Amino acid sequence: MAGLELKALRKSYGDLEVIKGVDLHIEHGEFVVFVGPSGCGKSTLLRMIAGLEEISAGELVIGDRVVNEVEPRDRGIAMVFQSYALYPHMTVYDNVGFGLMLAKTPREVRDKKIREAARILQMEHLLNRKPSQLSGGQRQRVAIGRAIVRQPEVFLFDEPLSNLDAALRVDMRMELARLHQDLGATMIYVTHDQVEAMTLADKIVVLDGGVVQQVGSPIELYQRPANLFVAGFIGSPKMNLLPAIVDAVEGDVVRVSSKDLAATAIRASGEGLKPGDSVTLGVRPHALTPTESGSVVGQVALVERLGNETNVSITLPSGTSFMAVLDGDRALRPSGSIVLGFNPADALLFDGAGLAR
Amino acid sequence: MKQRASLLGGVAAIVATFVVFVIPFLFIILMAFKDRQQSALRDFSWPTGFHLWDNVFEVVKTRNWMMITAFINSSIITVASVSLLVVFAAMVGFILARRKTRWNPLIEFLILAGLMVPPAVVPTIWVLQGLKLFGTLHGMILIEVAYNLPFSIILYRAFIATIPKDMDEAAIIDGARPLDVFFRIILPMLWPVTVTNIVVQSVGIFNDFTNPLYYLPGNANATVQLTLFNFQSQFSTAYNLLFTNILLITIPPLIVFLFFNRQIVAGMTAGAVKG
Amino acid sequence: MAVSSMGNVAGAPSQRAQAQKRSPYPGWFYLPAAIIYAVLFLAPTFASLYFSLTRWTLFDSVFIGFDNFAQFFREPFLVKGLVNTLIYAVVTSGLKVVIGMALAIMLTSQIVARGYLRSVIFFPVLVSTVGVGITFTVLMHPTQGMINETLALFGIAGPGWLVDPRLALFSVALVDVWKGVGLATVIYIAGVVAIPKDYYEAARIDGATKWQNFRYVTLPLMRPATATVITLSFIGGLRTFDLIWAMTKGGPGFASDTIASVIYKQYQAGFYGLSTAGNVVLFVLIAVLVVPLTMLLNRKQGHE
Ligand SMILES: Nc1ncnc2c1ncn2[C@@H]1O[C@H](COP(=O)(O)OP(=O)(O)O)[C@@H](O)[C@H]1O
Ligand SMILES: [Mg+2]
Repeated sequence: MAGLELKALRKSYGDLEVIKGVDLHIEHGEFVVFVGPSGCGKSTLLRMIAGLEEISAGELVIGDRVVNEVEPRDRGIAMVFQSYALYPHMTVYDNVGFGLMLAKTPREVRDKKIREAARILQMEHLLNRKPSQLSGGQRQRVAIGRAIVRQPEVFLFDEPLSNLDAALRVDMRMELARLHQDLGATMIYVTHDQVEAMTLADKIVVLDGGVVQQVGSPIELYQRPANLFVAGFIGSPKMNLLPAIVDAVEGDVVRVSSKDLAATAIRASGEGLKPGDSVTLGVRPHALTPTESGSVVGQVALVERLGNETNVSITLPSGTSFMAVLDGDRALRPSGSIVLGFNPADALLFDGAGLAR
Repeated sequence: MKQRASLLGGVAAIVATFVVFVIPFLFIILMAFKDRQQSALRDFSWPTGFHLWDNVFEVVKTRNWMMITAFINSSIITVASVSLLVVFAAMVGFILARRKTRWNPLIEFLILAGLMVPPAVVPTIWVLQGLKLFGTLHGMILIEVAYNLPFSIILYRAFIATIPKDMDEAAIIDGARPLDVFFRIILPMLWPVTVTNIVVQSVGIFNDFTNPLYYLPGNANATVQLTLFNFQSQFSTAYNLLFTNILLITIPPLIVFLFFNRQIVAGMTAGAVKG
Repeated sequence: MAVSSMGNVAGAPSQRAQAQKRSPYPGWFYLPAAIIYAVLFLAPTFASLYFSLTRWTLFDSVFIGFDNFAQFFREPFLVKGLVNTLIYAVVTSGLKVVIGMALAIMLTSQIVARGYLRSVIFFPVLVSTVGVGITFTVLMHPTQGMINETLALFGIAGPGWLVDPRLALFSVALVDVWKGVGLATVIYIAGVVAIPKDYYEAARIDGATKWQNFRYVTLPLMRPATATVITLSFIGGLRTFDLIWAMTKGGPGFASDTIASVIYKQYQAGFYGLSTAGNVVLFVLIAVLVVPLTMLLNRKQGHE
């Protein structure tokens, strides 16, 4: 049984600090996804867990051991690389069995395990091929097979699907979810694709600039983003963010307005806010509906008709653009005027520091 | 019209290269077939009889079968030094390509220096004598390794830089120790360059004349290039034997050329195209 | 959970595995090569700096300051060796550049029998230098050599290739080019082949002639190949010993001596200090000429 504990982990390359103190608790058997924009330090953090990067400061616990100084092979982990990193001169059979061979596992045991892994991944017919004779999806399977044959406590994945085409990506995503259910091992998965994050994760860790922005279940992150970064990062199309001014604070209700927005009362903590403060109002495109009495008035800039829904890009009086996703097909005319409303309960309020209220 | 011109140009090129490059080799071959008398004329005539086997036998058995000793010596030196070169140079290339430290510029400088700087002969003899290696095959092998390391390292380093580091890391996660990573993953992946390296270095070391001349004196230690020299002085008039000898020592490079032409050219042109 | 019953190889919780983490790229991989290189190449090179300042018998040495070098620049035959070395390097590398480039352009065009031509031109590169030297010594014999006999058929009185002191060095240089031009050619071929077709197509759209194609596309883009050919053959030319030794032994007289042959002669004569001074001179010559040369050749062109 192996959960993980990351305690104030830091990583610097010379003077450049790329992981700036990460605290994280991961339960055994959890599927955790690290998500964030490119260059935010996801891979670095994963590689620190794997033991491929030195830990500059802090403590890493896997199971019940501090593993900062433990060799990767002794950490009870396995890793699947974005490039698959299959050994080109070995057959699939030898690729999968390489770790077992190094561990001096007896031949018969090794053979049994390799075949078992191949069966789970439905690639028994590929065992005698070389990696160069495999398609992208098949290589991906071999890479996963190489990981599961070692029966790690923790699986590490670094963007494993990003080299696959879109259709295959969806298949492999489901396969990974199934594998997680079957094996019951802890999995840590790095991606910059929020759809993968939302669909696979028990727990999402949003990273930006080497700092954890928020940890939570996919729905928590969607509904209650902790700050502007998470709000903007999770959800597609992106959440609309409107600068506004506090008009009044009445306990749990904050009244805001702006040039683009009629006065609106939002249910949010008013603590420390006072009239005249600058805040940001967040409204998801899906929360908007056309209504005569709405608080957002603008001009239609662009219409994308997808059949089941319609994406409308609107230009507000201040010139800000605003996105709405409306149900059903709507034949809106560009440059026509439009009035949209939303339920204040669906709106989020962020203070001057960008934190959710 | 254009095709006629290019055909004409082609024929001219074939004739010209035949005269310049092929005739000298035909001359060697013809001489090796002649008897002593005819060969003394040193002309491009057809052999009056078939004397090749007589000549070969004569050359081989001269000076107490020195040719055999020489071929054995040259083979030992070539095989041993090329084997060491492959492993040691690949090891250096591997670490040099993977580990960036502030020492790298110094190491690269030393490698480039090794390509350019001519060895200091007498001090090397002095060092070899100190190590009791002067005039021994062991010493000669190590000399060939030392002098040819820079080229092999450069060849390997360039190729290793194209192997993604993921490969090493996957092996490390799989439990490979540094020696496993190198010998089980990297070295096998280097096979194409290794072939090139083996072929190019073998030809160079087999043909080496200067270094055995200095560092491997003595008849018992003769290498094939040196026998050629001894023969020349001894048979200053026996041209048939001299050219038979030249023919014999040209055969190994010829075989290599026939089978590994592509690899040789690849190795020798490595880095020419902005690398 | 199908696999979990088979025990654990990944070595999770276990007490023994607390050894200090090591770099996956250990520095000791340098050691075998480094030791051989340091002992047999670097150490003698540094030692040569000292021994060139001594009168030396291998058993003991007497420090005599710069006398050896003074002698090197005073004795006419040693100065001759120095001058010859430079001439030889310039002539061979110059010819290899010009001929190699021409052959490469010919061999990358639509000429017939390309494979044959390439092989025939390249093969001498692989042949024993001494063998080539001896063969050409016979061919270049002033009266009985095939070359002059052939010239005589056309009524030309061939020169004394290797016996005329004014000619000997150049004759050897010619043979050097004969043997080495194949390497220059394949380097140039690699350079020409690497030029993207787009350039020629763009030039064609601009209405370039064949000559303009060569002058403004091929030639500038072959600069890296030219740099390699010049550097390789220039260094090779400066260091040349075996061909000279096989053909003329530096003769007639000292007419074709180079530094490398002087080093050998002084070594044979037992003047180890002087021989080593020759090494240092060659070393300095290469450093002084080749380093600026490569910098000049590898300088980025303005428009790149
Ligand atoms: N070896 C290194 N040396 C210096 N900087 C590095 C190194 N590896 C990664 N970085 C930097 O660390 C940051 C995080 O990289 P990474 O973890 O790969 O990001 P990502 O989230 O895209 O996986 C990046 O800004 C990258 O430039
Ligand atoms: Mg990454």
